Amino acid sequence: MVLQKHEIEAALHAEAQAISAGRLKEDNPLDLSEDFRLFCEACRRGDLKVCQEMITVGVNINARDKFDYTPLILASLCGHFEVVQLLLESGALCERDTFQGERCLYNALNDRIRNLLLSYDYAKSTDPLQPLAAHITSLLTRDHPKTTDITLGTATESFHLHKFLLSARSPYFAKKFATAPGITSWKLSNNIPTQSCEVALRYLYFSEVFADFGDGEEEQAILTGIDKISRQLEIEYLLSSIVEAGDRRLTRQRRTEEINRGRDQLGIWFEENVLKNKITVDTDKLNTLLWDHNNSIFADVLLRADEDLGDEEVDESLPQQPPIQNTTGPLNAIPIGPIAKSRSPPRHRTLQKSTLYPVHRAMLLRSEYFLTMFSSAFREAQETPHLQIIKLDCTPAVLEVVLTFLYTERAEFGLDLAIDVLFAADLLFIEKLKQKAAVIISTLGNGSISTAESENPRGETDADDVLNVYEVVRAGWDTRVHRLEEFGARYIAYRLERYIDEEDFAELVRESANRIVGRQETDTVELVDDIRYYLSERFRLRFEDSGLDEMMNEDADDGIGTGGEESTVASARVFVELEASTAYEDEAVDVFDGSPKKLGVDESDRRDDEETCGLDIEPQLLSGAVRTLDGELAGDEFAQDAINYQILLGKIDRLLDRLKLDA
Amino acid sequence: MIAGRGRQKIRPPRRGVHGEEIDFENTWAIIASAFREIHTKNASKLSYEELYRHAYRIVLKKKGEDLYRRVRDFEHEWLSNEVRGSIQALLTANLLASTQIIGGTTANERRTAGERFMKGLKQAWEDHQVCMAMLADVLMYMDRVYCTDHRRPSIYSTSMVLFRDDILSSVSSEEDSPPILVLLNHVILEQIRMERDGDVIEKALIKSCVYMLEALYDGQIETEGQRLYVTSFEEDFLNSSRDFYRAEAELMLRDSDAGAYCRHTRRRIYEEQDRCRSTLSDTTTPKIEKVVEDELIKNRIHELIEMESGVRFMIDNDRLEELSLIYDLNARVDNKKTELMRAIQKRVVEMGTDVNNAAIAASQVQSALSEGADKGKGAVQEKNLNQQTIAALKWVEDVLQLKDKFDEIWRESFGSDQPLQTALTRSFADFINASTFPRSSEYISLFIDENMKKGIKGKTENEIDLVLEKAIVLLRYVQDKDLFERYYKKHLCRRLLMQKSISNDVEKQMISRMKIELGNNFTMKLEAMFKDMTISEELTSGYKAHVAQLGDPDPKRIELGINVLTSMTWPLESMGSSGDNEEGKKLKCVFPPAIERIKKGFEKYYGEKHSGRTLTWLAAMGSADIKAVFPKVPQKDGSLKERRHELNVSTYGMVILLLFNDLPADQFLTFEEIQARTNIPKSDLIRNLQSLAVASKTRILMKDPMSKDISETDRFSFNEGFQGKFHRIKVGVVTSGNKVESDRERKETEKKNDDSRAFCIEAAVVRIMKQRKELSHQQLVAETLNQLAPQFKPDVSMIKKRVESLIEREYLERIEGASVDSYRYLA
Repeated sequence: MVLQKHEIEAALHAEAQAISAGRLKEDNPLDLSEDFRLFCEACRRGDLKVCQEMITVGVNINARDKFDYTPLILASLCGHFEVVQLLLESGALCERDTFQGERCLYNALNDRIRNLLLSYDYAKSTDPLQPLAAHITSLLTRDHPKTTDITLGTATESFHLHKFLLSARSPYFAKKFATAPGITSWKLSNNIPTQSCEVALRYLYFSEVFADFGDGEEEQAILTGIDKISRQLEIEYLLSSIVEAGDRRLTRQRRTEEINRGRDQLGIWFEENVLKNKITVDTDKLNTLLWDHNNSIFADVLLRADEDLGDEEVDESLPQQPPIQNTTGPLNAIPIGPIAKSRSPPRHRTLQKSTLYPVHRAMLLRSEYFLTMFSSAFREAQETPHLQIIKLDCTPAVLEVVLTFLYTERAEFGLDLAIDVLFAADLLFIEKLKQKAAVIISTLGNGSISTAESENPRGETDADDVLNVYEVVRAGWDTRVHRLEEFGARYIAYRLERYIDEEDFAELVRESANRIVGRQETDTVELVDDIRYYLSERFRLRFEDSGLDEMMNEDADDGIGTGGEESTVASARVFVELEASTAYEDEAVDVFDGSPKKLGVDESDRRDDEETCGLDIEPQLLSGAVRTLDGELAGDEFAQDAINYQILLGKIDRLLDRLKLDA
Repeated sequence: MIAGRGRQKIRPPRRGVHGEEIDFENTWAIIASAFREIHTKNASKLSYEELYRHAYRIVLKKKGEDLYRRVRDFEHEWLSNEVRGSIQALLTANLLASTQIIGGTTANERRTAGERFMKGLKQAWEDHQVCMAMLADVLMYMDRVYCTDHRRPSIYSTSMVLFRDDILSSVSSEEDSPPILVLLNHVILEQIRMERDGDVIEKALIKSCVYMLEALYDGQIETEGQRLYVTSFEEDFLNSSRDFYRAEAELMLRDSDAGAYCRHTRRRIYEEQDRCRSTLSDTTTPKIEKVVEDELIKNRIHELIEMESGVRFMIDNDRLEELSLIYDLNARVDNKKTELMRAIQKRVVEMGTDVNNAAIAASQVQSALSEGADKGKGAVQEKNLNQQTIAALKWVEDVLQLKDKFDEIWRESFGSDQPLQTALTRSFADFINASTFPRSSEYISLFIDENMKKGIKGKTENEIDLVLEKAIVLLRYVQDKDLFERYYKKHLCRRLLMQKSISNDVEKQMISRMKIELGNNFTMKLEAMFKDMTISEELTSGYKAHVAQLGDPDPKRIELGINVLTSMTWPLESMGSSGDNEEGKKLKCVFPPAIERIKKGFEKYYGEKHSGRTLTWLAAMGSADIKAVFPKVPQKDGSLKERRHELNVSTYGMVILLLFNDLPADQFLTFEEIQARTNIPKSDLIRNLQSLAVASKTRILMKDPMSKDISETDRFSFNEGFQGKFHRIKVGVVTSGNKVESDRERKETEKKNDDSRAFCIEAAVVRIMKQRKELSHQQLVAETLNQLAPQFKPDVSMIKKRVESLIEREYLERIEGASVDSYRYLA
């Protein structure tokens, strides 16, 4: 079905009118802020790092600039696959059958990007907040493990609910519970139909509410009841979210809006209550800390994270001291910290500090780890007079990130925490958080070199390096996040000059090889393959641009080919060049350090080849003053690139030889 | 929120996560002791977080392999050292003994021992499951990471395998005792046998053991067919069940009757289904059902049906419920129910043959009697024929009764099973058309006749419908439809002409039913007969009007009612007169002048209406009402009174009586004189004279000598002293009703039938050949048979003869030199 131009224009006009009349929210509002301009600029250039930073800052990812471009259109138009992926993962919309969506698809630079866009079509993908909403909705019906702490009774039915959620979502409940936190049952007014209550509660629990309540009087009664109850509970948006449910797009917008509002409410509540009430105490005073079940933030479990004390290992086997001081009577007000403060000052050098977060099992259940824990028969699942303290093996900062994610689906943290978060998420089986951590590492991790800049084939390295790429790759392996391995390979490929001779690099390659269980002699090393791929990408771009690819084809092909006679010949030639260069130039300031020595070994091996190839070098030497990596004078920049490429490939091969890895 | 644009440096992971080595042995020691606690059910003191963390670290340190192995070894040791012992302690002597020889210990002891054993095993299994679930929780990270990466089965399934190997496959301490698994099978089987024998057993206990067997697999692959239950237990169970039921079937066939056997079998099947549901596994249901069916039904059904108290007995005694049981059972193992069908068919034919034989016997006894008593005496002959008619009616009734009986059985016991109905129909057709019993067509027609004349009097429409339906049902079975048609026509003819039929509507209804059943062709002639009747009525009234128009107001005018019959449609030859045709020509009756005049008048009238048609008068079929005045004779009270009677006599009777009109009172006529003057065929004359001069109630003529038989020398005079109680006197003529044919008549009918069949066959052959031009003999015969099937089943030799005849008349010719006999049609 192809629409005529006038039809499209009419549809656009109708949409514009609907927006101006306030019936429809604009998907892509105009944004002229400086942040957004920067964001768009980054998308144009393909600067992943800035993009990630701007997203973290919170620009509207679906806004448009003064030329009516959205970031997604810019990125796909300019062909930055990684940026497009990041944008889509962060919630950029590309919906078919909308003007901007089709425009974006139409503008995609290549099929790879186009297919990516199609795979994120709204109809198929879900709202990024949907998992959170679904979890909270499921709390309504989940009866094991038990997490409810209040029973709400209507005339005919009773609902088992969660106080923290009610008070986060409804100001009415917040006030009521503030005065009586220990309450366990609540009676709703009898003259409100049960069905209305159910709708209201489902609304509070992030569920979609449909305007289908039978017909005629019944519907009227229920709607009146909903109106009443929404005023009572001060949830004024409830009614408006029900009434209209016709238009798909409108429904979607409403739904998104609702979930966002709910998430924000929960987020605010989380910050106000959970984070504000965290307690930092000396680790050995922990046992003295007793929280009653009836507390003002309705927490039912305490999570403990220990401060990082450098090399200090916490001794787990230390006999736990019995609680010294018992609080008399229920503690229902926060904070309860005085005990810790009243204790005698630290006895020895750096006293271990622990931070406790009062949290709710209902939310922790989002992690499979906690679900299993609370469903099991272990101590953590037992009923105790006071709140249990569960230790988590991470720093408070990381725990905070994890909790924030569990409560609000927000994952905004810096590179410094990223790897720890990655491990924590892996430990707790929170797959999405793992992905977020990986995204943050792979986008911010490039340091100040943006992707665009790093296409510089000469591999100029950033002086201050923001990350230890070895750690990143290893973390990727440990937590089975493939993206990190790819990122690492790319990162290394673009800076290979720096890493190729490090012993750590060799160690990493060996590890990669060992990862394949029952590795055969002929199996390839994944990491090396990836590095070779990105290396070819790094250089080939230049060759293609200059139209010299044909000229270099032979060499390039040889270099990329894995194993085989020709590749050894190709590398042999490079060694000859190398040899020549060391002989000629002393003043050559290498980007490489310490390479000549190592190469010397090869040199002797290859000496036979020297005579045959020596003749080739002469014209190159004469042609110009551009120097290659090994200080060789290259004919021009392109020649230099080509030679550098060969040198790097040769180094990899030799490395593999040395490690007795055939690849 | 945190990330600004400021420089952030990624940090290496914290210690403990990545970095220095951990002490594997110590960590494992902690985990192992915790596991021990779990096994001793002290888990509530343990910290999940701590255990998980330890396991997590080990896996993260690439020690997953070691951990996995350690856990497996730990479980192996635990099961071998702790659990196995407690199970083996339950193996008491008599439990072990029972595996070898039964006896020595009482059933009760064995049962309790078995139950204790199963209880122990169940407990061990459930504990193991619970503990392993907890272990798996703790080792979740290992399962997810190590096991997935290295394609190892999860620790939970590994431990299940361990349970199988260490407990179930373990051999008890004593010498040459079988593994636990075999023992368990044995115990379960024994318990089941006890239940079959009527004991009460603990089903839930067995069920939980079965659950255990179902959860375990024989090999490494976890497929449906590899379940321990299937590989180890099920086969044993089925085999022992097979033996059990084989023996039981033997016993039951010997000791109880078929009904009890059926009931028992059904109960057994239900029991087994129940057992599978409550004690074993649902997956076994079809298999054990098959075993029971095989042993109790399939292999025994023949014996069962043939038992003294088998199907035959049930049918004879109307054991509908038991028949239904047998039907159910047979249907279970054989979709076609061959055995039952065979038995039923056999019984139907037997009973049908009995009915046939009874009918034949009845008729033969009668004829033998009559032959013995008085050969050739008309009256006795008549009586004999009457008896035969009754036999015929009885036959029909019997057949219908039989039919009703089997219909009921079919409906009530066989669930209106379609194939069985077909089989029943076939059997009925078989005996009704049996070659030893050729009279069915006639009997059925007679039955209808009887009902038309008397039977339906005073019945409601529904009842009449029922009777007609019955007749049609029987008709369906009859193969030689043409013969039936012939009889029916004959009988109908009489009914119509003599106005014996009670209701014309019913007659027409019957014909329309036959039309539905047998087709248009069949009823065409019958309908034509009805049409003739109507036309005749019109003619009569038309003639009446014509006469009135002529203005001949003669008060003594004789009224004429007339039936004009189309000679082709009416079986006139079969009407009484035919018997005396030996002279070879039709004698024309001489009518008295008054009658002759009317006859002429009508002929003229008819000739005007339809020119070119010849009317042949059939005096033998008519009847007449005569007003007769008898002279005054002294009455009992002494007065003299003239008596007037209205006499209803046959046309011949009228002709005879009118002769005496002109005769002086004391004169007489001899038999020969009468014959000479009237030209009535001799046999008819004898019959008419018999009714006029012999029958005491209607002795209008005096005969000299007074004897019962009429001889040619007898003399007849008018009986002036005749006295009748009624004003209207009907002088019946013998043999006017429809009766069973005598053997002679039958031969004739058959001959005629064969003649008409000959025409049908020729017509069919010509039709076929005209279409096909050339055809082999075999094919021709087959097609002919096929084409004629709805009418009758012709003799093959007859077809051959007809073909010969057609060849003679040059409709066909033999194809010379054809490998098989073939014919060609000659146009």
